[in-house]
Amino acid sequence: MGRAFLIGITAGILAAGFAFADSPSVTAVLSNSEIVVGETVELQIKVTGPGDARPPEEISVDGMEIHATGQSRQFEIHNFATSSSVTYNYTILPLRAGRFTIPPQTVRAGGNLLKTPELTLNVADSPSRPSGVRPSRGTQTQSVRASDLVFAELIVPQKTAYVGEIVPVQIRMGFDPRVRPRLIEPPEITGQGFTAQKLQESGQNSETINGRPYDVVTYKTAIAAARAGKFEVGPVKAKAQVLVPRPRSAPRSRSRSPFDLFDLDDPFSDPFFSNPFAQIGERREIEIKSEPVALEVKPLPPKAPPSFSGAIGNFTMTTDAKPKSVQVGDPITVTTAISGRGNFDRVNAPVVEDERGWHKYPPSSKFKQDDEVGISGTKTFETVLSPNEKKQSLPLLAFSYFDPVKEQYVTVRSEPIAISVQGGAVAANVAATQPGSSPPTTATRPEPAIQSTAKPQDILYQLTERPRFTESFAPIYTRRVFWGAQLIPLLALIGFAVWKIRRAKINNREAQRLAALHHEAAELMHKLRRNDASPREYYAEASRVVRVKTALASGSRGIDPNVVDAETAADTFKLNSDERDQLRRLFEQSDEWQYSGAHNGPGRISSESRREVLELIENLK
Amino acid sequence: MKIRGYFIAASLCALSISSLSAQADADFAKANRDFAQGHFKEAISGYEALIRDGQWSANVFYDLGNAYFRAGDFGRAILNYERALALAQHHPEATANLQIARDEAHALELQASWPERYLQSATVNQYSVTAAVAFWVAAFCLAALIFTPRRSAAMISLLLVMLLVFAGAIFAIWQVERGSKGNALAIVTGKDVQARLATADTANAVLALPPGSEVKILSTRGDWTYVALPNNLRGWIPAKNAERVRL
Repeated sequence: MGRAFLIGITAGILAAGFAFADSPSVTAVLSNSEIVVGETVELQIKVTGPGDARPPEEISVDGMEIHATGQSRQFEIHNFATSSSVTYNYTILPLRAGRFTIPPQTVRAGGNLLKTPELTLNVADSPSRPSGVRPSRGTQTQSVRASDLVFAELIVPQKTAYVGEIVPVQIRMGFDPRVRPRLIEPPEITGQGFTAQKLQESGQNSETINGRPYDVVTYKTAIAAARAGKFEVGPVKAKAQVLVPRPRSAPRSRSRSPFDLFDLDDPFSDPFFSNPFAQIGERREIEIKSEPVALEVKPLPPKAPPSFSGAIGNFTMTTDAKPKSVQVGDPITVTTAISGRGNFDRVNAPVVEDERGWHKYPPSSKFKQDDEVGISGTKTFETVLSPNEKKQSLPLLAFSYFDPVKEQYVTVRSEPIAISVQGGAVAANVAATQPGSSPPTTATRPEPAIQSTAKPQDILYQLTERPRFTESFAPIYTRRVFWGAQLIPLLALIGFAVWKIRRAKINNREAQRLAALHHEAAELMHKLRRNDASPREYYAEASRVVRVKTALASGSRGIDPNVVDAETAADTFKLNSDERDQLRRLFEQSDEWQYSGAHNGPGRISSESRREVLELIENLK
Repeated sequence: MKIRGYFIAASLCALSISSLSAQADADFAKANRDFAQGHFKEAISGYEALIRDGQWSANVFYDLGNAYFRAGDFGRAILNYERALALAQHHPEATANLQIARDEAHALELQASWPERYLQSATVNQYSVTAAVAFWVAAFCLAALIFTPRRSAAMISLLLVMLLVFAGAIFAIWQVERGSKGNALAIVTGKDVQARLATADTANAVLALPPGSEVKILSTRGDWTYVALPNNLRGWIPAKNAERVRL
């Protein structure tokens, strides 16, 4: 399960890597640019990128025999990005001395037609090799020579360049695999008058040179000359520790190493290498050094165009702008992409040829390189332009560079891009009424009227009116007066809440009073219906019921039951004259029983009188 | 007796304010005369004296900006036009002269983010008042809902709208205050100012800042100020070479 998961993750990363892989590219390199007649040199055409590649089947150059010798495929993973490449090997055997040019070869890869760079091979007539540090045949010595075990080679593809021009450089370092090398100091190109970019290791392979096997590490970089003149690039220097046999104290006859097939006095003929246990070897620090390469640097021709910023190479420019419909003063982002091959560190943003009516902001840039050393790629600039007045098109952008092949300056211009700018001109550019040195004679503040006769780009007049009150930069929410003002609505809110609460309490008391009156009325009616009360009590309770009912019926008027008399009750219940008389009699009898102290009639109330009273009270609604 | 004392104190206070105001008017008029006669340095001294006395107004800063413009100090001219606009956002003369000074100095401007561009149509003070009004209306709505037995749908809707307005106004204040025209806005007043990667004159330069360029102060360390630059990068500039717009 875990393994399947790991495989899935790996496949995903590889798929993502391929998905984001760059478009295919091709490079071609010779294993040596200077040889003698009779020696062979290897041509490698490396195609990097996705898809199948179809290399040239036959390369024909007059004076050389070129045969395909095979191919190899490499996969590399850098920071989860994978890339694959195929290297096609050819062996070149020059038939005569001279300077040979291998023309660009067409390679079909991933549906694209790619071309290799043109290569130059110098073939010397002398049977001996030029003064290089590569291992040479026939050197007779008895001691072990560490320099025979390693070599360094500096390959500069061109002999002339212009000041500032980027020249790609390749460094090859070969080690006899048996010395088990350990690099102490990486290779460095020495010399003055040029700047070199950081070395990038581009690959390793095994080669047989002069019958000896070597592990060859290839580095790539680029140099740019800082001044004109003739000078030497290199030599390349590096330091490494290698394993060599200890020198013997006395000469002795020895058996030939199986590696020394051609009796070349191979140091590995030492028995140490044929039997590591026979003698103890030692690690020795050696300096590896290449031959320098001459380079003639020419100055740039005079009369560079104004937009030339030092870019040398071959470039193309594309331009786009967004948005295309704006108001005066709004920003328009102009994106310019400069692609090609050259010194991108000197490629600056294209210049606006006519800035009138535009406000230009500093551009931003980003660079996407297409190779290992940053010679080819695309540099994208984003420049914000803001129109100060109505415009119908963007101003033209110009970019100039020096083309070292054509040996002349080239200026490319953007295509006119139509835009729509709405709105009036920004006041600052046209609005000016009077020169600032002559203030208005009146103290009033004149309107900032636009006058067509005014001198452009001059500031407006002085203002001679000073407000009575001073102003403050502090925002209003930081001022005390603002928070003091908040007390007003706060107090209002508190007042509102108190008023509402009080109203609620008052309403509650009224409800309680009404409930008490209802309760009292019900109690009294219950007593009146009983037959055991004395006339005094009966009439008192009857009149009290009428008062309570009147108070309840009065509603919002809130009549106190203690102050209700017969007339008030009759009015409240809108009684007719008979009922009104009955009610009056009831109140009179109640008063009579209440205040006379003795009864003037019978000791008990007749049932007829009781019924009349009850009917009267029950009809009070 | 007590009332008489209060009356005398109030009268003295009013007299003192009136006297100070008259003096400020006289100083302002003199500075204007100096400007009219072409004595720009004297005019600058006069306007700056008023500002030191706390007599801040958009017109004083605008006139000071004009004086600096005539004296050839575009950085300080732009600084004072910006100050005039900070006090009165819709000051047409300051807006016009600021653009002229920027063109002359090739000054760089900070880019406003898109919400800020829309929100700058009103001032922070207007947003503050809006927030306060919305807050209190919402508070009254809430109180009414609490104390009224019947919950009105209109009242609840009003409460929600007011809460939204309040939140929007607070967001607008925050956005404008921390934006390109906010509290941290400063103007480069020095000449040949380079924003650098570190607090050293030998550190790599990030951007050359012409006088009058806008920067946003992020922090200060000793004699150096860390600022946001018009090209959306950040860098260190000597603290003496930039002044905050808001005093």
